[in-house]
Amino acid sequence: MADDNPHLIGEDHRAFSRLVGRRAFLGVTAGATLSALAGREPRRLQAQSSGPAATADAVIVLWMAGGMAQTETWDPKRYTPFEPGVRTDRVLSTFPSIDTVVDHIKVSQGLERVARVMDRGAIIRTFQAADLGYILHSRHQYHWHTGYIPPQSLAMPHIGSVVSRTLGPKNPSVPAFIAIGQNMEIGGESAAVKAFHTAGFLGSEHGPFLITNPLDAATAVRPPAELGDRRFLSRRRLYQKLLAKEPVYEYAGDFQRESLIRSLESADRLLTSPSAKAFDLSLEPRAAYDTYNTGRFGQGCLLARRLVEAGARYVEVTTEYIPFRYWDTHERGHERAKAMKEQVDAPLAQLVLDLEQRGLLDRTLVVLASEFGRDAITEGKVGKEVRDQANTPDVMAAPEHYGMHRHFTAAGSVVLFGGGIKKGFVYGRTADERPCTTIENPVPVQDLHATIYHALGIPPTTSYVVEKRPVYVTNDGKGKPIRELFERG
Amino acid sequence: MKACLAVVMAVWVWASAPWVDAQPQPTGAATIDYQQQVHTILAAQCLGCHSAERRSGGLSLASYADALEGGRSGAAIRPGNAADSLLIGRITGQVPPSMPLGKPALSAGDVATIRLWIDEGARATRASAAAAPKWEAPLALERPAIPDVVRPGWTMPVDRFTAAYLASSGGPPPELVGDAAFARRAFLDIWGLLPPPDDLRAFVANANVDKRRMLIERLLADNDAYAQHWISFWNDVLRNDEGVNYHSETSSRKSISAWLLSALNKNVPYNRFVEQLLSPAAPGDPDGFLVGVNWRGEVSASQTPAMQAAQNSAQVFLGINLKCNSCHDSFISKWQLKDAYGLASFFSEDGRLRLYRCDVAQDVYASPAFLFPELNRVPPSASLPDRRRTAAAIFTDPRNGRLPRTIVNRMWQRLLGRGLVENPDEMDGVPWSPGLLDWLASEFVDSGYDLKRLIATIVSSKAYQLRAVPRVGEQPRDYVFRGPEIRRLTAEQFGDAIGAITGDWNVYQPPAPTAPGGAGPPPARHAREWQTPASPLARALGRPIRDQVFTTRTTTATMLQSLELVNGDRLSNWLLRGARNMLGELPLPPAALFVTPINARGAAAGQTAPRVAAAPFDVGVSGAARLWLVAQDTNSTAVDKAEAVWADGALIGADGVATPLSTLVPLDASAVRSGSGTAVIDEQAFQSAVRVKTPSRLVYDISGRGFIRFRGVVGLEHVSRLAQGETILGRFLIFGTEPDFDRLVPPAPETPLPPGPRLTRAADVVDRVYWYALGRAPYAEERAIALEALVDSTRPGRISSEGVADLLWAVMVKPEFQLIF
Repeated sequence: MADDNPHLIGEDHRAFSRLVGRRAFLGVTAGATLSALAGREPRRLQAQSSGPAATADAVIVLWMAGGMAQTETWDPKRYTPFEPGVRTDRVLSTFPSIDTVVDHIKVSQGLERVARVMDRGAIIRTFQAADLGYILHSRHQYHWHTGYIPPQSLAMPHIGSVVSRTLGPKNPSVPAFIAIGQNMEIGGESAAVKAFHTAGFLGSEHGPFLITNPLDAATAVRPPAELGDRRFLSRRRLYQKLLAKEPVYEYAGDFQRESLIRSLESADRLLTSPSAKAFDLSLEPRAAYDTYNTGRFGQGCLLARRLVEAGARYVEVTTEYIPFRYWDTHERGHERAKAMKEQVDAPLAQLVLDLEQRGLLDRTLVVLASEFGRDAITEGKVGKEVRDQANTPDVMAAPEHYGMHRHFTAAGSVVLFGGGIKKGFVYGRTADERPCTTIENPVPVQDLHATIYHALGIPPTTSYVVEKRPVYVTNDGKGKPIRELFERG
Repeated sequence: MKACLAVVMAVWVWASAPWVDAQPQPTGAATIDYQQQVHTILAAQCLGCHSAERRSGGLSLASYADALEGGRSGAAIRPGNAADSLLIGRITGQVPPSMPLGKPALSAGDVATIRLWIDEGARATRASAAAAPKWEAPLALERPAIPDVVRPGWTMPVDRFTAAYLASSGGPPPELVGDAAFARRAFLDIWGLLPPPDDLRAFVANANVDKRRMLIERLLADNDAYAQHWISFWNDVLRNDEGVNYHSETSSRKSISAWLLSALNKNVPYNRFVEQLLSPAAPGDPDGFLVGVNWRGEVSASQTPAMQAAQNSAQVFLGINLKCNSCHDSFISKWQLKDAYGLASFFSEDGRLRLYRCDVAQDVYASPAFLFPELNRVPPSASLPDRRRTAAAIFTDPRNGRLPRTIVNRMWQRLLGRGLVENPDEMDGVPWSPGLLDWLASEFVDSGYDLKRLIATIVSSKAYQLRAVPRVGEQPRDYVFRGPEIRRLTAEQFGDAIGAITGDWNVYQPPAPTAPGGAGPPPARHAREWQTPASPLARALGRPIRDQVFTTRTTTATMLQSLELVNGDRLSNWLLRGARNMLGELPLPPAALFVTPINARGAAAGQTAPRVAAAPFDVGVSGAARLWLVAQDTNSTAVDKAEAVWADGALIGADGVATPLSTLVPLDASAVRSGSGTAVIDEQAFQSAVRVKTPSRLVYDISGRGFIRFRGVVGLEHVSRLAQGETILGRFLIFGTEPDFDRLVPPAPETPLPPGPRLTRAADVVDRVYWYALGRAPYAEERAIALEALVDSTRPGRISSEGVADLLWAVMVKPEFQLIF
């Protein structure tokens, strides 16, 4: 990774020379572009043709961490109620399906609020997680979030970092990439989760701004509590006074010196900017807060809405991955899917309505996704021997057996709203009988990413030069956007 | 797209070749015009195969720059020397296969035209200067002649090379840095620590003309301080990390820290060092390097452990990038798929490796073959140890000049901020002084591959001691060496500076021994920054996730990094603790009411599951407003499998009435695992249970409840789920006051450096901070500003510890502190 300092060539270099008179760049560059100007970031190769016209300026990814059961949510199948002794292979869905405002779209019970706004969005029912053999959630999450399967010989960037690098911040006072809700110390898979929450070779400029708890978000952009505003300001003044008096000799104007000073200023700008208020959920009217407040995920959705209003580029809100918790339903799947839907239903529906009411939905792509689906019988891909990791007896004797406990990679659901996506639309079809696998229009990660990038006006063949070779934003540049999903095709 | 890129890079490499040891070139105007006379021949005869897109044999003759760049067999054209040019050899048939392949030969006239064009210097136009020959990195190492002394006092070999270079490249006369700046560089580069103020003042005052050399020797003589600094560099390079595990079911990650620390301490000769990494044989040898980074499940053919070993060993030890050609023949270098597989075959379980092109199996198999056939050796047997031993012998073969050149260049880059060859991982690049690179490499070999000698040679050189060169932006394309780059403190140097200045160091909890029957966790101890898990501050300051080889850290200042400095808890808490410590006001960490180890290890299949008995506790809690129940993790490998339980917990009032713990609500329940009812610990059932994660902390508000005692048991449920080698290791602790989570048990008192003086005068605080952090006394104005900040408005005459923390912060975020000038 030594070659993260490639030279600017051609047009980039001339642009730099124009911008940067000796010692003059202090006044002209924003902090967020300093490293780009210095050629310290991988250079973007210009695509052969100009990109698609963007239909979205911002993305909110709602991450259903742990493997969301598609037949219990967005792709309901035949409902079999629980009774002791019911055969497991008979159970496809543990909830009845309900109608939505769109005639031909049914979803699972527990998603009533989203059902009422389904005419604003689309469902992909044939998401294809990679076939990696023995399941490790964090590895599939890495794949989903970077487009590449680890291990990799390069540090691959998170999709949020790619968006940040490619489009830059929408508002320089709001970090371009904000990740909400994931605690990084989660036991055995901590290192694996950290491994993809990174800008990798794109450089830390584009790393995630991490907010674990939405209620604490305001403190992330406020002086540390133990410091207090008064001391924070006096410390700041002390620094400025001492800086003004230091001897700099011939090093005045040195790029590194100036960029250190500038980056402190940009941090300050964030802390003191009016945009910082977007992080403070206590400023939200009580009624609105209550609508969203189904727990941390719901609070995160509210925060995401506020941040996008303030000019965030890419926001991800997770239900949080902790092994064996939340969507990682190894047992009591029915009960736990019910609880998860309670967390997700109201905030998602309200987010769509709020964005619409503010005139932002047309230019904001909301994507709800998960690393793979679930099933009661099949582990991994259909027809492939994979080690079982969740205990499911042949007969459901007790309530803890009732649910989708195995990891299923042959189909999964993705829900999209806004950002130019067709309204009231379903893409892809799965079988109505087990193994409920994909029948038509499979959507691998690279095509889903290409679709998100397409909405943002980024061609899937966009690449960055790392160690002299192009690294594409979708797997080897092969991602194909699903044009049928877009209103304008 | 890929092919286009190769063209772009080729143009750049050629256009910027600035080396000075160029051959003499013919002068005067040329008679042959490339575009009119040569290109027309090449276009008509050669482009069918050697177009920019097809590049047969890696060679494109489509453009002037392509033709001079050459192909997989090296340069096609040697300007000024047609007789030695491969292009002429091929078109005359002297060097088979003759070209154009399978077609009639070129006419004698065409050959003569091309020959003359080359002999005239292979110019771009008639009027342009003769082309510079393509740089071809040599493999063998020959000790070059040392230039004459051209600058008084610059008499050491490195200085003579440097002086000759500077004289030929023009520019102002070189100036060396002052003593204080030199000492700061030397301390940071050899120990990773700032010079202590007393040492610095003594060094500056010392009149001995030889004092710089003496300081270098003194610093290098401290094996431990040296090892504790350089281990971070080697951890990045060798992808070594603690506690990082991606749950591969076959070959999980393995730390080599203990070996590395010891090897650096003993200054193991570099050829031995490489040998042990490539051919670990003895117990304690660093087999983790070849194991690589492995995730659970199926892996791309280009990322198997053996392929990772090939990529990493080539990159780290030889400066060769095999990443592209681990999937397919490279588009940007001469290396092909078979080369990566040939090297990987030395390290794979099976010595006959099937080739996969972009994950598609080929009907081709590789056997052990080194990248440079002239150095290849055939392993004495197909056994893995023999193949590894053979690989180690090839890498460290004295005829392999790449090994010393690569490490010498890495060290130069690390110490001066830019390599003699700019990219330390691409040793085919052009050194700005090939002579100096080869002299250093030869000297390194002759010294017995002594890394410390190499560092001493570089740090003693005038080149290292030149003033740093400020930059206004990107590295210039036509690099001319004028002095070291301005460098930035590493995350480890930054953290150690806080420890050194304030005397308040990180606490490192060593992992509990994993051998069966091992005791609980050993005591915690004060440690330097590298040894503690990466904090958000350390990550922000550039400590990488070591899943890939990192040979250069990114030093860019970013907004997220500044937010961590301005707003992060880690720095503000540490500086406040440090400030209190400087003033002698830091209280001891609260002591636990109860401590017992958590200690369970999975048994081998077929053996009886381990038994871990419940541990009872009964502690006094009178007067406590809150209770902290802590489950600490000290390097468990399977924290999710067995569950820590606080069972039958009961709070006893003065009247003897017991309140079950399970009826109280913790302030934050996120640490509580689901599940209620009877707990079973070692076959013993307990009525009530609070199940928690490991690690976890539960806080209960018991103020006003009148409890006097807290009783119960702690233990682990489901220990039998642990497979062989899986562990749950840590401690259960109870506190009646808020614990210091970094110091749950008191660390041993020793610190990496002796503690500084307890400061009672504000002027002393200001002096210590300035001298230590910046290597100088404060100016009068600075001193006045700083003193004002230390005034405690609530305690007249006293120093405000918050003021000290703020002064530390203000100084440490200044570029003058963070940069090495």
